[in-house]
Amino acid sequence: MAIRSLDLASPARRSDAKLLIDGASKRFGSGANAVLALKPIDLAIGAGEFLAIVGPSGCGKSTLLNIVAGFETPTSGRALLDGNTIGAPGPERGVVFQQGALFTWMSVLDNVAFGPRALGRGVAEARAIAERYIELVGLSGFANHFPYQLSGGMQQRVGIARALANEPEVLLMDEPFAALDQQTREILQEEIRAIWRRTRKTILWITHSIEEALFIATHVVVMTARPGRIKAAFACDFSRDSDPLVTTTAAFSEAKRTIVALLRQESLEAQRQEAAV
Amino acid sequence: MANGTETVAAPVDEDVPVRRLARRDRWLGLASFAAMLVVWFAITGSGLWPPLVSATFLPSPVAVAKTFWSLANKGYQGHTLLHHFLISLMRFGIAFTFCVAVGVPVGLLMGMHSGVRAVLDPPIETTRPIPKLALLPLFIIWFGIGELSKTIVIIAAVFPLISISAMQAVRAVSLRKIQAAQSLGASRRTIFWRVLLPASLPGIFTGLRVSVGIGVTMLVGAEMVATSDGVAWMALTAADFVQTDVVLVGVLIMAALGYGLDQLFRALEHRVVHWTGKD
Repeated sequence: MAIRSLDLASPARRSDAKLLIDGASKRFGSGANAVLALKPIDLAIGAGEFLAIVGPSGCGKSTLLNIVAGFETPTSGRALLDGNTIGAPGPERGVVFQQGALFTWMSVLDNVAFGPRALGRGVAEARAIAERYIELVGLSGFANHFPYQLSGGMQQRVGIARALANEPEVLLMDEPFAALDQQTREILQEEIRAIWRRTRKTILWITHSIEEALFIATHVVVMTARPGRIKAAFACDFSRDSDPLVTTTAAFSEAKRTIVALLRQESLEAQRQEAAV
Repeated sequence: MANGTETVAAPVDEDVPVRRLARRDRWLGLASFAAMLVVWFAITGSGLWPPLVSATFLPSPVAVAKTFWSLANKGYQGHTLLHHFLISLMRFGIAFTFCVAVGVPVGLLMGMHSGVRAVLDPPIETTRPIPKLALLPLFIIWFGIGELSKTIVIIAAVFPLISISAMQAVRAVSLRKIQAAQSLGASRRTIFWRVLLPASLPGIFTGLRVSVGIGVTMLVGAEMVATSDGVAWMALTAADFVQTDVVLVGVLIMAALGYGLDQLFRALEHRVVHWTGKD
């Protein structure tokens, strides 16, 4: 079997974590209307690891990413990058959203050059950087197009190039391929693996697709239905295999079955919660 | 722009059936306009047959064109037609420019800052239902019978429209775009100038186009009282003497002014905010 259960918040992992989530929880609202979205989460992510979080919808996985991004403040606990508490969004944590986050009024080139410009680089230098990342995501020749002239998959490539252009230490990706069709998604999954192998960024990836998580990540975390907590965590080797057909192997199916079984109970629970509202 | 080789979602204006439909609709529009003109010719006779209605009620298009020509050459009541037109345009222009220059920033501030909104929302919301033309007598008492009271009555009608549309536009900017800019290291200043403002422009432009129509209407109202020039004043004065042809010249000039301004803003919108509705 190519996945191994492990404790992602063990003392050894905590001590050399790049990104540490230290008992972070989140409650929305107050009084009788308060909703506990996230139970205290402990998670240590090492430098260069690619960690995917899967969970049923509404389990708080996006909330967890928002805490790391600095968009939300945790109700208790904290998130730390290199030992420093995260309090606000910052360029060392690049974020790729699901869709609708590109600057519609800017060309692809200006979208990607936005980060370097915001960090004080000159126009020419920012453009040169942007061109390099536009090429990296395979969009050379589209630099002067506007986002609305591109397909959904190409727009996500722009989003990835834009996040990479600041050379962030950590990439946070919130279901970036969820709105794409299956074929486009598979191609982009292979490319993100290639980009990760090349750059060795630390990546936190939110998804609802078990297959996607197993295919691209070095570590997979399964979350429970709301209030979210970590149900299981695995180290996983498929992302090290350069063959995209690894998803058709018996070992992959076996791993998928393990996680599907875990997630199924939680999805049923999530549905039961929804029906109760 | 298309210098790539991969397939790109085709912009709508390259779509042949859509373009053919647009051409058909343009012809239909022209035909509809021509039909109105033909009816006007027919019922007034135009010198070719006895008119169905008296020329006092509805002069023929030919008579109106002749009146326009004579007004343009000889003027009306001591002022040239151009003077009447320019003074009307100036009243509208000053009021509208003020509303854009002050109303848009005020609206943006209201949208971005809840404190500013709390202070400015009550005066704007409570005075909104009042027909602003009804305030003209009051403005004349306060600001005199000169240009100021006329300008202010137009501002009173247009300012809330423009500031509220700017406020709504900036509040509707998607949180994701702001978060994206924040996580790219943008300062508050950069976020305003490069994200919030451009993202609000489509909504602001919609407000401006609605306001042009209202502003021209208010201009007519403002020239009804205590004036001695302006296109609407000319039409109203001529009505007292049953100079229906002069009235029609005035009405058509006002219509052309409204239409021209709308076309101008439409063209500006197309150029400046080409991404409208394409998110």
